[in-house]
Amino acid sequence: MRTPFFIALAVTASSIAIAAQAPAAAPRGADGKPDLTGVWQGSSTRPGKWEDANNGLGVGGTGKDPNAPPSLGSQQVITEPAPYQPWAAARVLESFNKRGIDDPAALCLPPGVPRLVLVSLFPIEIVQTPKRVVFMYEYMNVFRSIPIDAPHPPDIAPTYLGDSVAHWEGNTLVVDAVGFNDKTWLTGTGTFHSEDLHLVERYTRVSKDRIDFEATIDDPKVLTKPWTIRTTMMLREGTRVQEYVCAENNQDPAQYERLLKEGVGFRRP
Amino acid sequence: MTMTRRVAHAVAATAALVMLGAPARAHHSFGAEYDSNQPVTVTGVVTKIEWTNPHSFIYLDVADAAGQKVNWKLEGYPPNVLYRTGWKRDVTMKVGDTVTVFAWRARLGGPLAHSREVTFADGNKLFFGPPAGTGDGGAAPAVKVP
Repeated sequence: MRTPFFIALAVTASSIAIAAQAPAAAPRGADGKPDLTGVWQGSSTRPGKWEDANNGLGVGGTGKDPNAPPSLGSQQVITEPAPYQPWAAARVLESFNKRGIDDPAALCLPPGVPRLVLVSLFPIEIVQTPKRVVFMYEYMNVFRSIPIDAPHPPDIAPTYLGDSVAHWEGNTLVVDAVGFNDKTWLTGTGTFHSEDLHLVERYTRVSKDRIDFEATIDDPKVLTKPWTIRTTMMLREGTRVQEYVCAENNQDPAQYERLLKEGVGFRRP
Repeated sequence: MTMTRRVAHAVAATAALVMLGAPARAHHSFGAEYDSNQPVTVTGVVTKIEWTNPHSFIYLDVADAAGQKVNWKLEGYPPNVLYRTGWKRDVTMKVGDTVTVFAWRARLGGPLAHSREVTFADGNKLFFGPPAGTGDGGAAPAVKVP
């Protein structure tokens, strides 16, 4: 009866290994719900403090290794190709070919949602109470203060970050956002939308270190069907969200104007 | 569902998706303003450092081929990113220091470039700016090209 013994031994050993590797559980608030409070880095899969997780390549090439290739190491966003209607896809492609000089962020305007979650070069601080969750984004120093279990107000006027309300579905915080203007981008270069944008974000703190993020983007005026993107946000203990006053010394609009005026070629081939 | 089937399922689901790079970029289009096909390395004396948003700038007196001083302007990360990258304002690099900067030249020409790596007199190196191609849309557009 050697075989069962070895199987039992192997099973026991692997159980111990799994237990030893299991990440710490997500903390919970007084209401028993997972607590998202903390400073987070979007579009990263690496656990640890900011300087450790971004060593080597580093996000946006900020790592300390000068021999690291110039790629954006730690980011990871999973999506299907954006399902734009043909006329809208042509507009997205035109922004890409113009290398994004029409980016609202180049004017220091809010970049858009869920794009703010995906910008991993800058951290995000979340503060959660039983009645409210507040997202503070270092990028552009904008915030969203979101009531939990409240309806959208009846008098929404279009804004850059829209109107958001949240509710819990099990361990997932679901944020429903409407009331956007049409001046921001959804994710990458040129991903515009209309004022009919309806965004549903799902935040699931699956462990102490990690939030699984999913956004479903619905905008029948420009998309052929809802578009879903997924990424992870990683806890960055010890990182503080800092000031970022973009308009301080923004020379880019003037540079773009000169490029266009002087006919300097910069379009993609 | 067995583990094998679950794994096969996950692999199939992942294969159907696309990994999108790029949203880590900050603020502006590197590719519109600077040319990744024109790398340049300059060594000179720091005359001014602007720790400003949305981007910082190093100004460097560099001797040209004729021995004339030319003041180069080198763009880089904002102060918050520099801080997380290991820079300390007024400590890591000061006016009067001699440094070498690897950069890419501006499409507009002149002594203007986008910095990447700064090498200090003691041989230490730090990144002052992002890799070439940051913020200009990444390797592929978000939509399928027809």
